[in-house]
Amino acid sequence: MPVIIISSDSYQTGREIAGSAAKALGYDTIGREILGKAADKYKLPEAKLTKALHETPSFLGMSSKLWKQYLAYVQEACLSELLRDNVVCQGLAAHLYVLGVPHVLRVRILSDVEKPVNQLVSQRGISPDKASKLLEREKQASRRWSLEAFRLDETDPSQYDLVIGLSQIDPEEAVKIIKETVGYARFRAMTYSIQCMEDLALASKVRAMLLERFPGARVSANRGTLVIETLALKREKGKKAKAIKEMAGKIPGVEYVEVHVINDFLRQAAESFR
Amino acid sequence: MAIITISRGSYSKGKEVAERATERLGYRCISREVILEASGIYHIPEIKLVKAIHDAPSVLDRFGGGKLAYIAYYKSALARLVREDNVVYHGLAGHLLLKGVPHVLKVRIIADLADRVRDEMKRERINEQDARSMILKDDLERRKWTQSLYGADPWDSSLYDLVVHIDRFTVSNAVDFVCEAAALDQFRTTAESQQKMDDLALASQVKAALVNLSPDVAVASEYGNVLVFVKNDDRLARKVREKVKTLDSELEGVNNIEVHPGVPIPPGAV
Repeated sequence: MPVIIISSDSYQTGREIAGSAAKALGYDTIGREILGKAADKYKLPEAKLTKALHETPSFLGMSSKLWKQYLAYVQEACLSELLRDNVVCQGLAAHLYVLGVPHVLRVRILSDVEKPVNQLVSQRGISPDKASKLLEREKQASRRWSLEAFRLDETDPSQYDLVIGLSQIDPEEAVKIIKETVGYARFRAMTYSIQCMEDLALASKVRAMLLERFPGARVSANRGTLVIETLALKREKGKKAKAIKEMAGKIPGVEYVEVHVINDFLRQAAESFR
Repeated sequence: MAIITISRGSYSKGKEVAERATERLGYRCISREVILEASGIYHIPEIKLVKAIHDAPSVLDRFGGGKLAYIAYYKSALARLVREDNVVYHGLAGHLLLKGVPHVLKVRIIADLADRVRDEMKRERINEQDARSMILKDDLERRKWTQSLYGADPWDSSLYDLVVHIDRFTVSNAVDFVCEAAALDQFRTTAESQQKMDDLALASQVKAALVNLSPDVAVASEYGNVLVFVKNDDRLARKVREKVKTLDSELEGVNNIEVHPGVPIPPGAV
């Protein structure tokens, strides 16, 4: 059965549409509520995971290493929920990492241009011009975030199956369009597409576990076989590969682990200058 | 009923969607007709018009105004053709040229580059590299064109009501989306929205008549009352006033025309 991923230029609008679509279809919603469970699992404050979904690393803020780690935790939590099917997912940036799964319908909702401007004007008492500029800045920040986090531009319409603008189309009609679209046979989960989702979920689980010790590790999965790429110095190669194999092998569902250790030229150069 | 504009890149199946939506809705389908209409009314060779609306205006064009004049003619012809309603337009920047009219449903059809390259190879019988570079060049030209004239990126989905990624659907699915959206109340023509369309058509015709005097001239119309905005230049204002006198009788639907030199151009003006 299908999975619907909703992305929006406004978190609130996306949430409302996701809720209404789930209600209309009798599906469950997956949103930021799952972050609490993820935070408990990885023993950190939930606020840090929420922050990672908004901010990019900065000198005074979150370090790049921690940011990537937190995003990997969010990714893992979200993907394990998406295995359930018949769900509407929103607010977890899933449109940027649930790629290549045929039964996933990816929809972008663009909020009414005037509504958020008017809201800001009445809430903060600023001019409509200033409110528009503020919103534009937020939009650009969100675009930068998606590029930095997943190297994908979330404003690019080719990332989605359907983009619906709410300037003229009402939210109820947008929900109706989503409901009808998800009824197309191509969004029915089949053996291959379920396998794709399971592969993504397994890879994200392994990556979330490895990142603390092996930052920058890249993981892909194919029916229980893992291919893991990591950077290391020549002399550490064997040791690192063994450690990764041991760690990944413990995860249920992993049958075989292949580790590709890539020479870390930067560290090697830094060491040779010491 | 509605006016539907379908924006598309080359080989994105947008033409097919437009034609099938036209068939299903019983509307008229227009695309190249706009060029023929503009060429007939303003006595310009088709080839010049096609080139002007395909290539982005250069800096020199901004001073000379040649290309900008052709675009004004094109817009005027488009507005004349679509004002009668029940029409699907697939072609150049309909979503921008018909901006401000509430019963215009703006749709964009997009396709994966790989599929577009494959179609181009098949049709033009060229290799993959050539096909890819032709499509990318075409896309870039389109981007430059829209950006230089409207300061907008045609790839920006906020310009449309609906963007359909055709590779994930069939043409028939896309036609369903278009037809269902067109049936919504918001896109139904009302007396008020038709008035806006008529005003846009009138303003575009006045602009087309004046653009040769100054490419910067801007025109707004409300209930047939036309306001012409020109630079603060006495000679130009005099010329425009003289020309405007003849337009009163030439154009249908004009109640009054006023010329305002040196006044800031309002947002809705064409």
